[in-house]
Amino acid sequence: MSQATATRTLTFSQAIREALAEEMKRDDRVFVWGEDVAVYGGIYGATAGLLEEFGPERVIDTPISETMIVGAAVGAAITGLRPVAELQSSGYFGIAMDELYHKVARWRYMHGGVFTVPLVIRLPEGAKGAGPEHDVSPEALFLSASGAYVVIPSDPADALGLMKSSIRDDNPVLFFEHAGLYAHRGEVPSGDHLVPLGQAAVKREGSDVTVIAWSRMVGESLRAAEQLEAEGIDVEVVDPRGLRPLDLDTILESVAKTGRVVIAHEAPKTGGAGGEVAAIIAEEALEYLESPIIRVASADVPIPQSRYLQQFLIPTAASVTEAVRRLD
Amino acid sequence: MTAISPATLLELYESMVTMKLWDQTALRLLQEGRVLAGYHSGRGQEAIPAGGVAPLRRDDYLMYAHRGFGYTIAKGMSLAAMFGDLMANTAGATGGLGAGIPHFADPELGILGQGGTLGSCFGIATGAAFSAKYRGTDQVVVCFFGDGTANRGAFHESVNAAAAWKLPVVWICENNGYAVSVPVAESTAGRIVDRAVGYGMPGVRIDGMDVTEVYRATCEAVDRARAGEGPTLIEAMCHRFRGHYEGDPQVYRTEEETERLSALDPITNLAARLVADGIATEERLGELEVGVQDTIDRAVEEASSAPMPGPERIYEGLYV
Repeated sequence: MSQATATRTLTFSQAIREALAEEMKRDDRVFVWGEDVAVYGGIYGATAGLLEEFGPERVIDTPISETMIVGAAVGAAITGLRPVAELQSSGYFGIAMDELYHKVARWRYMHGGVFTVPLVIRLPEGAKGAGPEHDVSPEALFLSASGAYVVIPSDPADALGLMKSSIRDDNPVLFFEHAGLYAHRGEVPSGDHLVPLGQAAVKREGSDVTVIAWSRMVGESLRAAEQLEAEGIDVEVVDPRGLRPLDLDTILESVAKTGRVVIAHEAPKTGGAGGEVAAIIAEEALEYLESPIIRVASADVPIPQSRYLQQFLIPTAASVTEAVRRLD
Repeated sequence: MTAISPATLLELYESMVTMKLWDQTALRLLQEGRVLAGYHSGRGQEAIPAGGVAPLRRDDYLMYAHRGFGYTIAKGMSLAAMFGDLMANTAGATGGLGAGIPHFADPELGILGQGGTLGSCFGIATGAAFSAKYRGTDQVVVCFFGDGTANRGAFHESVNAAAAWKLPVVWICENNGYAVSVPVAESTAGRIVDRAVGYGMPGVRIDGMDVTEVYRATCEAVDRARAGEGPTLIEAMCHRFRGHYEGDPQVYRTEEETERLSALDPITNLAARLVADGIATEERLGELEVGVQDTIDRAVEEASSAPMPGPERIYEGLYV
């Protein structure tokens, strides 16, 4: 096996950490800050060891001040640095929403494009038994925050490659990481592994149904596809790996091939990004559809803290197989 | 207290006169229907941007407030570009995107912009100051905000972090007594300057109608920040002569109150001092004003000749 194709096994969390370390080594303008990211190494371990490797000037524990964490990251980005700021939970979006929505996404545009805002905001999301405020998947809130990219990896290799690309990109990136994925292991290419932003991945090829899924629902959809294969249904799983830039070409090509679409995400159905993707497909590719589009999502309720109740609410592989079987 | 040289006093005077005449010209353009958005006059508060920006180097950072255009005038921004932004045409620093209330920036001059959701300035100022320290420069950030903005939560988070990390920021609060229409006494507990104690940094309350006080206090704070000794909070007490915005009926204050304000004019008061101290004659100050007006008229002329942007402007500058 050649060096370029060699792989190593990393958890999702280690992959994020590797990406941060590699980019910090490569570019001394890159720094990391957030709550408990330094000495503690991040509550999900995604910044473990960075303090020892890069020192307290570049790995910074902040006060519990999300407005400042995001706002000051913008200030640092427009003055020559490349911040990677962590919100300990994406559920804190509301505390920093003016900064995320108006400053991160719009500071460049509203000032006539004289700045770049090269930063990454890390947003751990998803159900993990931490209650309705923490267990959110709020990516769809940022569909209207034009100016900011929305990037969402679903496995360790993409986490590494997308994070490295996000840090190098001159546009601001909101980087969603499902908390339930951090411990997942996967093969990650060795070397300088970059995944371009705005390029969907066909995680599994198939000819009968297109399942468009992101974040944790990609793994669930792949498991569903295996089960459905036994029933003679050939499922293609497309992971857009983010919502902006959105790789419409890959999505529409797959829809044109299969003529059937299921969209799967963990956020509640109403106001979830599946609605936007479905609308785009209806506008661009209605003539290919042989069956109505089905969305697989959480119910329109706050996510209860009880993991016992969460099993009745959070979509799984079984939700995807059930949806696929309902297609015409 | 260090004396301010006659040359500096004259520069501060000229700076304030430029702001006043710029403001008058902007109001005229507004009346003529040539300004496409609202405008917050800075009349009466010129001493603060003049005295608060003059101590800065070209590479120091400025977070300006929305009241008038004095801060960016003092930092050296092109007058024609600012008039272009007032008129929303392509002469503007934003190339026709902005109008009226300034949202422009000039990275070369350290002008970092202005957020319409007031309070945005705090986080960005803290971040720019962190950046200066991280990069090992001795750049300083000056952040201007009003007494109303001081009550946004972002103030606490950002001012706390900047003080905890001893970042080079000078926080200048312009306390003109009203948050749009609400008097400070009804909205704000304690004195804003006293918040400095809570953050463990020096704080000073000054007469914001006296440019020499603003200049001295800012020089001291900038020196401290540049020396790595951390932030300072300056509360500059002042009065705005006009409404919060043009068209503000000002039902929240009496006519007597606004009539009394002209006696406090920071520009006429400094002129009287310059003449009394023999630094300038009335005639020289008159000539200076004529020269400034001429510069402003030429800037308006230059800006007026620029075309409006085409619809393609909407899509420019969003992504890199």
